[in-house]
Amino acid sequence: MATQTPGSASLAEVLDRILDKGVVIDVWARVSVVGIEILTVEARVVVASVDTFLTYASEISKIEQASQTGDMDELSDLEIETTAAREHSQDVERAQMGIASE
Amino acid sequence: MSGNHLYVYGVVEAEDLELDVEGVEGASPVRTVDHRTLSAVVTDIDDMEPERTDENAQAHDRVLRAVLDHEGGRTVVPMQFGMTFKGARELKNVLRSGRRAFTKALRDVDGGVERGVKLVADEGVDLDPERVEAEVAEWLDGLAVESVANDRYSDRLVLNRSYLVLREETEAFETAVDDLEDVYDGVTVKQSGPFAPYSFVDIRIGAQ
Repeated sequence: MATQTPGSASLAEVLDRILDKGVVIDVWARVSVVGIEILTVEARVVVASVDTFLTYASEISKIEQASQTGDMDELSDLEIETTAAREHSQDVERAQMGIASE
Repeated sequence: MSGNHLYVYGVVEAEDLELDVEGVEGASPVRTVDHRTLSAVVTDIDDMEPERTDENAQAHDRVLRAVLDHEGGRTVVPMQFGMTFKGARELKNVLRSGRRAFTKALRDVDGGVERGVKLVADEGVDLDPERVEAEVAEWLDGLAVESVANDRYSDRLVLNRSYLVLREETEAFETAVDDLEDVYDGVTVKQSGPFAPYSFVDIRIGAQ
């Protein structure tokens, strides 16, 4: 039986980390050399929530589309849309909490 | 004990290491497989899919902590549990393809270890987690390179964070965490680690 050395971590603390975190490599990349393409994704480059990232990604693609078509005017609408959407969601939240929107 | 395959614990800057530590499935010694500027820390293994037993989990972590502590300390980019490779060719292929990501990750966590901090409120003690988070950030953030929130799986767990702490700051960090007990009434402070910086690397390598 292994004895716990000083500084050894509790099993729960270890499991929290080694099962959910750390570098992950797809099994196919671990068993074959021929014809594999390695993709690396550094998801934590910017610490952001998934929501923030999705918003960011969709805004970027709108900008890319707009700059491709040369139609930059549409971009000014984006801000308004997002603001309106946010106000709407705040209204919904208030309603759910039983607070009337002034 | 030896096998055909390689169990990988993490990646360090290129170095020949041989450590007398017991790894996953009781394998030893721990050694390295190199590709250019990187070395993977490995043990031999028979089974491509080692069981997630408590012993194997502790062994994965034990090897990484031995690397962290080796001769004044090493920086390591840790793997998730279960990263077994068919052989050295496959492993070197991944080290080659992922070299930029591994190198950047090594730089990001350079000289750092992970510490866990949990604040557990006694029964009936009412604390606002958001306020606690802000206060603890002021208390600890100066002593850490970075920190991330972990799941607060109970209401009484008012704070659950991981901190990336430089080796030379660990004592100051530990003391500061201990002092948190005096800041809050009715709160138990639990710190854990040092761990390899599991929470501060995020590399996913796939195949197509």
